[in-house]
Amino acid sequence: MKKYNTPLLDDLEKGPWPSFVTEMKKAGKKNEMANDAVGHLEKCYSTKKGYWKHGGIVGVLGYGGGVIGRYSELGEEFPGVAHFHTVRLNQPSGWFYTSKVLREICDIWDKYGSGLTNVHGSTGDLVLLGCRTEALEPLFAEYSSRGWDLGGSGSDMRTPSCCVGPGRCEWANYNTLEACYQITQEFQDELHRPMFAYKSKIKFAGCACDCVASAARADFSVIGTWKGDIKIDQKEVKNYANKMDINAEIVDMCPTKCMSYNGKELKINNSECNRCMHCITRMTKALRPSGERGVTICMGSKAPIVVGSLLSWVIVPFMKMEPPYTEFKAFVRKCWEWWDDNAKPRERIGEVIEAKGMRSFLEAIGVPPQPQQIREPRKDPFIFYTDEDIARFKAKEAEEKKTGKYKF
Amino acid sequence: MDINELKDKIYAFVEAAKGKKKLKEKDIIKGVSAEQGLTPEEVKKAMREMIDVGKLMYSYGGGASSVEIPSEEYLREKGLIK
Amino acid sequence: MALPQRKTDIGPPHYKQFLPPVIQKNYGDWKYHEVLTPGSMVHVAESGDKLWTVRMASPRILSTDTIREICALAEKYCDGYLRFTSRNNVEFLVSDEKKVAPLMKELKDQKRTVGGIGPMISNVVHTQGWVHCHSACTDASGLVKSMMDELHDYFTTKELPNKVRLAVACCVNMCGAVHCSDIAIVAVHTKMPEINHDNFKNMCEMPTVIGACPTRAISPDPAKKSVKINPDKCMYCGNCFTVCPPISIKNPERDGVAIVVGGKVSSLRSNPKFSKLVIPYISNEPPRWPKVVAAVKHIVDVYAKNAKKHERVGEWIERIGWERFFSLTGIDFTFQSIDDFTFMRDTMRTASTFKW
Ligand code: HEM
Ligand code: HEM
Ligand code: HEM
Ligand code: SF4
Ligand code: SF4
Ligand code: SF4
Ligand code: SF4
Repeated sequence: MKKYNTPLLDDLEKGPWPSFVTEMKKAGKKNEMANDAVGHLEKCYSTKKGYWKHGGIVGVLGYGGGVIGRYSELGEEFPGVAHFHTVRLNQPSGWFYTSKVLREICDIWDKYGSGLTNVHGSTGDLVLLGCRTEALEPLFAEYSSRGWDLGGSGSDMRTPSCCVGPGRCEWANYNTLEACYQITQEFQDELHRPMFAYKSKIKFAGCACDCVASAARADFSVIGTWKGDIKIDQKEVKNYANKMDINAEIVDMCPTKCMSYNGKELKINNSECNRCMHCITRMTKALRPSGERGVTICMGSKAPIVVGSLLSWVIVPFMKMEPPYTEFKAFVRKCWEWWDDNAKPRERIGEVIEAKGMRSFLEAIGVPPQPQQIREPRKDPFIFYTDEDIARFKAKEAEEKKTGKYKF
Repeated sequence: MDINELKDKIYAFVEAAKGKKKLKEKDIIKGVSAEQGLTPEEVKKAMREMIDVGKLMYSYGGGASSVEIPSEEYLREKGLIK
Repeated sequence: MALPQRKTDIGPPHYKQFLPPVIQKNYGDWKYHEVLTPGSMVHVAESGDKLWTVRMASPRILSTDTIREICALAEKYCDGYLRFTSRNNVEFLVSDEKKVAPLMKELKDQKRTVGGIGPMISNVVHTQGWVHCHSACTDASGLVKSMMDELHDYFTTKELPNKVRLAVACCVNMCGAVHCSDIAIVAVHTKMPEINHDNFKNMCEMPTVIGACPTRAISPDPAKKSVKINPDKCMYCGNCFTVCPPISIKNPERDGVAIVVGGKVSSLRSNPKFSKLVIPYISNEPPRWPKVVAAVKHIVDVYAKNAKKHERVGEWIERIGWERFFSLTGIDFTFQSIDDFTFMRDTMRTASTFKW
């Protein structure tokens, strides 16, 4: 095996934080491809430039997603990275594993690829970094026969992901793990066969803490919420009072100012609470949501390319989220259909909503306008009215004339 | 229409666009179903069968996916030709 | 050996088979949790059952051998049950209290980094960089390693007013929620791309390339059967390069990084926010990017000293005002921090009530 001199990377083996260079070298001891990846990276460091070419056309037969072609411009100098494709393995919900299956994944990967991984990629998938084109089919046969399938890439539904939810979190308002599993299963075709104008992401968070950053990077951010009161255990409140200044840290930081604490009893005016989770996360033993559970569906967030980043917008303030998730599945299908009919190439659904107007989207998916959807109403007077709108306003006025009572 | 005949039409449709326009699945489904007076479902099914056996393939470029006629290299790698 | 029969569209395995018995039994019935140390916490179920979690940092790039070492630890202390977090940490799921301390000790002996729970700096969300992406203007893993070597006390022991979420994106595609982090590094190009006109003809679709440009800087160049770029409009986003390989934008001397701050994704107290640009440019200085590391450390220090308990970076800045943020940190305010893309009308100040 070729020995590379890597003074720049060696420096990154020092220091307390675990070193990715150490990992690459460790794989490189056994594997020619990983070894060349180390030499290749040192070259990037010394020239301050990357050498990967645009993704190529690779994949497994029948699928259009799950593999990302990667070739180096320096294939001759570093033959091990001439082909260095990424394989995305669809992770289990919540990233739970047993050592047994992880070892199995490793053994197969050592047989066909570089031995380098990302556990996990920021898409959520278990990412296998670096294999040759001809390894793809046998690798897929081995993984799929053992129950592992590929995730998404390209213009498809991307691998859905979710927070740990009811697996280990007292704040989960719905079964994020099961929802993620069942939705992934429902849309296998959309996951593996790119059929859209661009990518589409669904992420499931059990509460407003949003531990999977769904609000920032999912076309569908599915965030758990509740409708009842926050139940208070006053005894536990007392215990917290010994450890913290409840007025300063909780009551004064409540965004809706719906709490009060007189040194003895904590009170919440629940109808004014906006369920931000601050008090609950800080006093988890004392405070618990109650009543009906479900999700708020926000849509459209994405990174800045092309015309600026978006955070997801509230579209459906409340939806029940229980197996078999019929309502949610139908909702996603309706949204995709509208998107597909209206998108230009590489337009995410949020961008199409902006281009076509929120009204056009809401009407297409059958969701009524509600003040929960907005931060504030429009401030310009450039208002569209259809003839039907005016007819409806007029009809209302006619009704008022009859009853003698205004209804605004 | 006979499914094999339909597959030929799909192939011709994709071939005609080669080098001119990157076709999404949707473009093929819409285009061929309009051209042949068939339902989108029929076209989709036939197209998928073609993709499954390597008569057509998914491609990726310019940040988005498309459907194309496979290269010889691809067919060789999949063991579909010698 | 013959290959097994491939299967398609089976999807991921069901998670339930990977849940330790204590989770299966108490699924959805957790009552509360307590953070015991920065690297460990206990979840208590309504039934009284308990689950201990020990969290360990990972560099995200893992060799299969390291994964096997992690598996061995999981087998020794938690019957093989483990999980990973959305920020790439490893979590050992321990069902037996007696095994927690020995696990922590063994992790310490193996010089593993344990921590990240509570109001601290957890692992850094980041992307591929020079390690594995064609679009990269820097290396994400190297930046993360350099930053976390400097900040690692905030992972293992030192508390902050609240969590500080760090992220690195190696180009403006910003894969991975960088745009909503407390402090994030985004690598930038700073020079207009060059076009290889000969290859353009064969490899690119003219309308796609023209359409790809957010600022409409690209127009046809009929003489060359190619396109030209208007230097006054190009803001180096690289989108044209993404759709058309013969357009090249990499430039070792000019590529660098910018620092954005004040974003968050949770809705606690205040709404999710984007991160905003405060330092527009620092040169790439591999392998350690010393100035970037110093800048991030400095911003963390100023935040730690000035924010109220529970305030995230963005909430703190909104309370004191951006003008105060710049004066407290001593960061030069430049033209680059004034939005001249899509958000100017929303981001300019419209009142004379600012602080000196
Ligand atoms: C051709 C250009 C692109 C390439 C090669 C690319 C590549 C990647 C890669 C490799 C990842 C996984 C990152 C990791 O785990 O290290 C990723 C994730 C991601 N990409 Fe890109 N990307 C591209 C364009 C874009 C664009 C244009 C956007 C935004 C509009 C974007 C947004 C994201 C986001 C948000 C993630 C995180 C995954 C998630 O949230 O599910 N990417 N991309
Ligand atoms: C051709 C277009 C317009 C004409 C001829 C016009 C004319 C006027 C006139 C005559 C006044 C009354 C001034 C006074 O005696 O107090 C006025 C007030 C005002 N106009 Fe317009 N205007 C026009 C467009 C606009 C537009 C586009 C805006 C906003 C975008 C606007 C905003 C205002 C405001 C804010 C006032 C002051 C109202 C107040 O506070 O008393 N105007 N305009
Ligand atoms: C002490 C209480 C908390 C515990 C035990 C906790 C636990 C966790 C866990 C286990 C994860 C990983 C989730 C996964 O991988 O699915 C996570 C991630 C995360 N948590 Fe929490 N969490 C707590 C409080 C909070 C609070 C108060 C916030 C918001 C201010 C928050 C925001 C996040 C975010 C945003 C992530 C995703 C990581 C990221 O990408 O930024 N968490 N948390
Ligand atoms: S998003 Fe909410 S429910 Fe999910 S893990 Fe985070 S705190 Fe728990
Ligand atoms: S959840 Fe938020 S809004 Fe509701 S009472 Fe608690 S702090 Fe106030
Ligand atoms: S941020 Fe840019 S360079 Fe980094 S992985 Fe994403 S596309 Fe590649
Ligand atoms: S780099 Fe971006 S702004 Fe510049 S020409 Fe290309 S697409 Fe347009």
